[in-house]
Amino acid sequence: MATLRMDTTGLKPLSFADPRHHEAHQFLVDESYLLDAQLYDEWLENLSDDIHYLVPVRVTTARSSEFDTSPGMAHFDDDLYSLKLRVARFATEHAWTEDPPSRLRHYITNVRSFETETPAELFVQSAVLLFRSRGDNREPNFISATREDILRREAGMLKLAKRLVIMDESVVRMQNLAIFL
Amino acid sequence: MNDLSLMLADVRRGMIPAYVYNDEEVFKLEKEHIFERSWIFLAHESEIPAPGDYVVRRILEDNFIVARDETGEVRVMFNMCLHRGMQICRAELGNASHFRCSYHGWSYRNDGKLVGLPFHNEAYGGEDGFTKNGQSLLPAPSVATFNGLIFVNLDPNAQPFLEFLGDFAYYLDFYTRQSDDGVEVRGPQRWRVKSNWKIGAENAAGDSYHTPQTHRSVVEIGLFREPTGAKRKEGALYWCDKGGGTTYKLPPGTFRERLRYVGYNDEMIDRMERTWSSEQQRLISEDGFMISAATLFPTFSLVHNWPKVDANADDDEVVPFITMRVWQPISATETEILSWFIVDKNASEEFKEASYKGYLMCFGSTGMFEQDDVENWVSITSLAGGSMARRLLLNSRMGLTSTDKPLNKPLADFHGPGLAYVGYGEFNQRALLKEWADCIEKPLDQKVQLVMGEKVAAADSKGGGR
Repeated sequence: MATLRMDTTGLKPLSFADPRHHEAHQFLVDESYLLDAQLYDEWLENLSDDIHYLVPVRVTTARSSEFDTSPGMAHFDDDLYSLKLRVARFATEHAWTEDPPSRLRHYITNVRSFETETPAELFVQSAVLLFRSRGDNREPNFISATREDILRREAGMLKLAKRLVIMDESVVRMQNLAIFL
Repeated sequence: MNDLSLMLADVRRGMIPAYVYNDEEVFKLEKEHIFERSWIFLAHESEIPAPGDYVVRRILEDNFIVARDETGEVRVMFNMCLHRGMQICRAELGNASHFRCSYHGWSYRNDGKLVGLPFHNEAYGGEDGFTKNGQSLLPAPSVATFNGLIFVNLDPNAQPFLEFLGDFAYYLDFYTRQSDDGVEVRGPQRWRVKSNWKIGAENAAGDSYHTPQTHRSVVEIGLFREPTGAKRKEGALYWCDKGGGTTYKLPPGTFRERLRYVGYNDEMIDRMERTWSSEQQRLISEDGFMISAATLFPTFSLVHNWPKVDANADDDEVVPFITMRVWQPISATETEILSWFIVDKNASEEFKEASYKGYLMCFGSTGMFEQDDVENWVSITSLAGGSMARRLLLNSRMGLTSTDKPLNKPLADFHGPGLAYVGYGEFNQRALLKEWADCIEKPLDQKVQLVMGEKVAAADSKGGGR
C-alpha cells in the first residue's frame, strides 16, 4: 500500500507569473462558481470523457505507515456515467436531500501548477474548504481537503481529466456527500 | 422522560412516543441497558488478514483494538494502558507486532500480553510491587465470530452469540456467505449524522413503505428498477429471533434464473448452490423472494440491491452489491455510520469492481439512496426534541387492525424461519422496538471491577475481581 498522492519530484513547478498557471487557477475558480451555484450540467461540460473522480476514505495511521487512505474504499470513485447520474438525480423533483438546496461555498486556495510529461496536461494542486448550510437553523458543516487535478487541453479548452480529493478528516461530519469537492 | 413503564407500554403496542428519538434520559438508559450488554458488530476478519493487522473500533466510548496475533488468532482488547489509562493504539488501522504506550512506555504484544514495563525493578521492586507476568490488556468481555463477522458484548455473562443470533443466521448467510470461503469487505466509510441511531436500524429492519417515496429519484434516473410502490408491496417482511428484514418478489423462474435476474453470474450461482442449504435455496426458488435490507438488533444492518451500474448496459443488466453498517450512537441526537462494502471472496475481480461501483452509487456517504434517507432522519430527530413531540405518539401500527390482528395472514408456505408477511407493515419496526423495550426493562447486573497488577489479586486466575 502506498499513498495515492502524486510524487511531484521531477515535475516542473510553474511560476505564479506563468500564463498556464493563471489559466489553471481560473479554471478552478470558475469551476467553484458552478459548484456553489449547483450549475451541475455546466460543470459536467468541464470534465473530460475519461474523467476519474476519486475521493478516498481518509484514515488515521501511524507516521511509519505508508498509507493514509482506506485500502480500496472511497466516498466517490466515479466516471462520467456515474457523475452524470448524480447530476440527473439532483435535477429530478425528488432528490429530497437537496430540496430545499444547500447553500454552498467552495473556497479554493494554495493553488500550485506543474508541467507534466504530457504537454497538453497540467498537474494542479489546490486546497478546498467547503461550507455547507442546510435549513434555517441547523449547524453548518465544513469539509477541508486537498485536491490533485490533471487538467488537459482538449480542443483549446481545459478539461478536468482526473481529480483526487484527500479529505483532512477521517470521519466526515456532514450528513451525506450530496455535493462535489 | 415521561413515565418509563407507560412509555414502554406505548412502544409495545406500536405507538411510539416521538421523544424516544431525542431524549437524554432515554439515551442514558440505552447506554447501560442495551449497549453494555448487547452483541455489537466491530469488524470483519478480512479487514485483518495477516498476523499483526489491526483495526481500532468502538462501542460508544469504549475503544478496542481488534488484532490478529502472531498465531493467527483474533484478539479484541480494550485499548487502554493498564498503568495510567492512556490509549495504547492511536491509529485506526495498521500492522504491528507490539503496541507501546506513548505516556510511560509500557508495551504490549499484539495478543495483549504486557511485555515491557520500563524500570520494573527500580520503580516497583519488580514482580513484588507490580505483577507483570501474565498481565494483558483487558480482553473484551465476550467475543464471537460468525461468517468472519466479529461481534463483541460488554457483558461477560452475555447470552452466547449463536443463541442470541438464533435462526436469523439463515438470512445472514445470504449476505455474508455466498461461498465456503466467505466474503471480503472494504471500508468502512465513516460519517456522522444528527440522527438518533434507532431510526436507521428500524428503517433497514422493515421499512419497505418508504422506498417508493423517499427513493423515487433513483427510479426516475434509471439507476434501480425495483423500488416502485407496486414492487415493494409484493415483497415479504420477515422477523426471526433478534433480527428481521425486507425482500423483493422476483419474477417467475428457477433458483438460477432468479439469481441471474438480480445480476449474479453462473459461476457465483454455482457456488451459492453448493453453499446454501436447500431450505435457504427454497426462499428464492420456491417462495421467489430476494433478500433486501435487514437489521440484527440493535445496530447491525445489511442491504442487498441490484442497480444498473454500466452506462452501456441495457435496462435488464444489473449488478448486485451488499453493504453492512453499524449505527453507532454518539449521543441521543447523533449517530456515526460505519458502512462497509461486502463481496464474495471468490468472485471475479471484474464482478468485485462492478459491485463496488454499484455500492458507491447507491449507499454509503455518497449513495444516491442513502442521501435522501439521512435527510429525513435528521429532521425527525431534530423535531423529536421539542415539547410538542412529548405529547405525540407516532403510529407504528401499519399492518395491524385495531384489534391487533394482522391485515394479511402470515405466510404459511414461507421457507425462511420466523414470521413473514407480504404487503406493507411495520411488523419489524415493532419487533425491533419490542426487543429494545425488553432490554430497557431488564434490570442491570452488578458490574465486576478488575484489578491489575496487585499482588493480592494475582492469585486469582484472570487478574482478579472485586
